[in-house]
Amino acid sequence: MSSTEVYQLNFGPITAHSFNKDRTQVAICPNNNEVQIYTKAGKSWNLIHTLAEHDKLITSIDWAPESNRLVTSSQDRNTYVWNLDETGEWKPTLVLLRINRAATFVRWSPNENKFAVASGARVIAICYFDEEHNWWTSKHLKKPIRSTVLSLDWHPNNTLLASGSADFKACVISAFIKGVDKRPPPTAWGEKFPFNTVLGEFSNGSGGWIHSVAFSPSGEALAFAGHDSEISIAYPGGAIKNIRLTGLPYLSLLWTSEDKIIAAGYDCAPVLFEKANEEWKLSRIIDAGKKKVMGESTAFNRFRDWDSKGRGGSEDSELNTIHQNTITSIRHYAGTRENVTHFSTSGLDGKLVTWDLESLENQFRNLKV
Amino acid sequence: MSFRSIDVDALDEDILLPDELFAFSNGIEIDPETALNNVKSKEVEVRNLLTRGDTSNALIKAIENPPYGLFTIEAKDLNTQIVMEVLNSTKATVEFVKSLATEQQDILMKYIYRGMASPDLYNSAVLLNWHEKLTEVAGVGCIVRVITDRKAV
Repeated sequence: MSSTEVYQLNFGPITAHSFNKDRTQVAICPNNNEVQIYTKAGKSWNLIHTLAEHDKLITSIDWAPESNRLVTSSQDRNTYVWNLDETGEWKPTLVLLRINRAATFVRWSPNENKFAVASGARVIAICYFDEEHNWWTSKHLKKPIRSTVLSLDWHPNNTLLASGSADFKACVISAFIKGVDKRPPPTAWGEKFPFNTVLGEFSNGSGGWIHSVAFSPSGEALAFAGHDSEISIAYPGGAIKNIRLTGLPYLSLLWTSEDKIIAAGYDCAPVLFEKANEEWKLSRIIDAGKKKVMGESTAFNRFRDWDSKGRGGSEDSELNTIHQNTITSIRHYAGTRENVTHFSTSGLDGKLVTWDLESLENQFRNLKV
Repeated sequence: MSFRSIDVDALDEDILLPDELFAFSNGIEIDPETALNNVKSKEVEVRNLLTRGDTSNALIKAIENPPYGLFTIEAKDLNTQIVMEVLNSTKATVEFVKSLATEQQDILMKYIYRGMASPDLYNSAVLLNWHEKLTEVAGVGCIVRVITDRKAV
């Protein structure tokens, strides 16, 4: 795989994206009520399916790699599970969510037998398949959520769930469903956890909405990013490390190993946080941007532009980062959970970008020398 | 767009109130009387430092332990006045702003915005000068934190 690849899939924002298992197809939402599925053809992506069942904007998409099912959440308060049938069509199944506000975020659990739906109704719906009635049903996690839940992440043990919400809190809650889950072994977060046990509650103290939460690969640390331009790393027992940043807030986080976190958001460029000597710090900006090539004979161009456009030629609005607008989502693309080698980003500029960490590291090392 | 003015939370008995939001951002409510007395004793210390010409420490003292709270209005007003006095008598420099801790920078930014909210009381030109130096060091992240934080000064 070569280094960074950039695809312009939409001219408006991409609200969510998710790849299939072998990364040959991608599902995106082009900022409306439809899911588009693209298949890779050489250097470009071809649209092969458009799934239109939701009535309002789709807020989140997740593609279960092993069972090859899609789950989508929307502002129409519904969630659909999509199955590919024998004729090659994606068929939706409605999930009984019982919420009266928008569904904001959805993620399959690691074993793909459950998924969690965040919502504006101050609940998280944990959905599982009811064999007896042959439909998807849900149980609600209510406490201690006091506002819209904006982000979720599953612990690798398939039982614990992290949530980030607009009440400035990140929580670790048990989503253990009797009859669906086997009793998991004790974790660092707690030993016994019936449904809705709160095992950790964290706030960064500066009153920012929590845009993103992410468990470390081992599940023994939780990172979250708030609208107060701060990222925090919390540990079982309540220890927490806050990093206040000088830039704009981050919207999405991804752990690439136990001591590396990638974050991206309103600054349009992914950045890398690293843990060294038990201290977390901002290591560097991954998309450092490139200097724009200035045309020759700039004086001539400037006068010509003054003449034709009424302004100087240097005033262009293009950013020197790859993404031209806010990055709203970072997803794992290749490598194991403990050692992510590639990740993908999408955002308000309609671009889908896959990043090769290794080649970026090499570039960086060469720069250093 | 009249629907925008409809209070959709009115029928919901379980709404999030300002005091809860204050507590969620780690704000600790303090009795207004105590808060005012604290600020008054702080005022004396800041004055002493100012007369000794130690403006840097006067500013650090003035922004120390701001009287956060939903009802500590008098204490907040007095504290703002003290900070503004110090800012007016100190030259804004990047070196000084750099010497502050991130938390102190955030609090200073809160006071700068609080001051700029009343242009009739405080000199905006001075505040803008401080704002420029502070943004140069602490970045826009510092401004974002002033906007999001429920612990207002």
